[in-house]
Amino acid sequence: MKTALRAGAIAIYGAVFGFPLYWVITMAFKPKVEENPPGITVWYPHAPTLKNFKDVLGISDPGASIFAQQDFSALTPLKNSFLAAGGGTLLALVVGVFAAYGIARFRAGGSQLPFQILQLRMFPPAAVVIPLYFMFVYLHLWNTLEGLIIIYGAVTFPFVVWLMRSFFQDVPREISEAAIVDGCTQWGAFFKAVLPMVKGGLAATALFVFILNWSDYLIVLVMTQDKWTTAPLFLSTMSGGAGGQEYAHQAALAVLLILPPAILGLSIQKYLVRGLTFGAIKR
Amino acid sequence: MSSEPLAPNTGPARKRRAGVSRSDKIGAVFVLPGQLLMTFIVLFPAIVAIYIGFTEWTPINGTTFWSAYKNWHWFSGYTEAFTSREFWDATWRTVLITVVCTVAEGILGFALAMLLVKDFKGRGLVMVYFLLPMMVVPAVSGFIFQMLFQVDGPINGLLSFIVPGDVKLQWLSDPSLAIWGVMIADIWQWTPLMFLIFLSGLVALPEDQMNAARILGAGFFPQFTRLIIPMMRPILLIAVIIRAMEVFKLFDPVYVMTQGGPGTATQNLSIYFYRLTNVSGRWGYACAVALLVLIALSIVAKQAIKPIERAQNESMEELMAAGADEAPAERIEDAIDAEARA
Repeated sequence: MKTALRAGAIAIYGAVFGFPLYWVITMAFKPKVEENPPGITVWYPHAPTLKNFKDVLGISDPGASIFAQQDFSALTPLKNSFLAAGGGTLLALVVGVFAAYGIARFRAGGSQLPFQILQLRMFPPAAVVIPLYFMFVYLHLWNTLEGLIIIYGAVTFPFVVWLMRSFFQDVPREISEAAIVDGCTQWGAFFKAVLPMVKGGLAATALFVFILNWSDYLIVLVMTQDKWTTAPLFLSTMSGGAGGQEYAHQAALAVLLILPPAILGLSIQKYLVRGLTFGAIKR
Repeated sequence: MSSEPLAPNTGPARKRRAGVSRSDKIGAVFVLPGQLLMTFIVLFPAIVAIYIGFTEWTPINGTTFWSAYKNWHWFSGYTEAFTSREFWDATWRTVLITVVCTVAEGILGFALAMLLVKDFKGRGLVMVYFLLPMMVVPAVSGFIFQMLFQVDGPINGLLSFIVPGDVKLQWLSDPSLAIWGVMIADIWQWTPLMFLIFLSGLVALPEDQMNAARILGAGFFPQFTRLIIPMMRPILLIAVIIRAMEVFKLFDPVYVMTQGGPGTATQNLSIYFYRLTNVSGRWGYACAVALLVLIALSIVAKQAIKPIERAQNESMEELMAAGADEAPAERIEDAIDAEARA
């Protein structure tokens, strides 16, 4: 009885929380006529098709622009997303991992530095990008890949510091001390003794940061225009000829956008809680 | 300074003397790139924002930002903010969204975690299923709910099955409904986060204490209020802080769904900033408002970070022991007493 109740409650939860995903996935396979017919709700694709994916990726007709006000298929923004998110992740990692080690091992910057760093993540990016916009226009970094990478790196850097600090704290001091006794320099001890011990945490942090950057919408909205548009922004600006809806095409791109974070996220399930709480809850 | 003998590892006093300046230098080298990046991304923009905040500058008429002084107006932007109806509306709307979403996500997430805490066949898979919404790009979740909330869309369709008649709610174009539409989207996406954090706490609850309480006759409710909640308190606090911090910044799904509209019905602070600059072109005023909000937030942030920082140095068990201020035995006794009284 109790088990049945529990199972029932889980099923209801599952149905409610699963429905939005069910809808977007099935929408991606719906032909144009089933997309959003007035007055009727089409609950599942009656004639499923792959056309939406082919259109979105420019496979059906590479030269043509099928969406109003767009010169290219979603392939370019998807590529931009990968480049910007990947570059930003690399920058945040390189800078953040060193800082995290400096703070965890040497208490560099005093006790206030970690606070200041995390504080950056509490500020609404919508406020922070306003002055950044001037600066980037002035430095000719606006609407460039380098510009995007720098901002992505800076925005996710606090995250890397806090998460990696929690991993470095788990490494006993004796490890690096022993390496130094064995003739390593501080740098050598860091690279040869400490870093290999946090391999798992480092990989998880990298994937986390990639997902964060991949998910950005606001920064790219303010800091770029067509050429460096990333996929989430492209998705929201897709529209048909006379302002017609493009739900099925958008849904196809939405599915493509959900896939990488879903796969990466589930592959780091073990570190998910730790990552999402800035290393506060270690499990 | 003291005349204590130099015993090994006698705390901070020894550390401060022995070769610390050298390790300080090494530490400084490690954090240097990070500090440079922070300076680049914070210092310069901050100076520019303070400067522009004293002006009524706009790029629309073609003036560059360094000649903004031509439109200098001292604190007018700041005084305008304090008396601006739109600004305060956006602020309270942001607070409302933050409170409603955080509380709803917390309750729903906790309930789901309680349902899934006991192991059963296929639990791992069920967990993955419930985590999926969290992995969706926020802007994409905005698009999904934009589809769902259409007048002819599936949410009205589903409601028509439950409620008699044809439901035709204008979810996103009715000002009183739109804010709920936006909050529902956030609750859908982030309840999984609360669920995940709480579940990790619930499975770490000391089993012997729970068993002892059960065997000694404490029912579910006293166990819940006297044992589970006190021990989970630090974890609840951290989850709420982290979630509230994120909802406060909410932008992407709202912008995709309603762009802050209809009118200003879903305009929170983030949307307000965006509209001030990219729609109204009031960059000077936007800088003043942004600075006000950032100053207020940095005071809040300082307090909010403390529990997170403290928790970083503790294991799950220490965290839970710190949450409940009584000893385990007293807690169990409490739970049994409560049961006896009921």
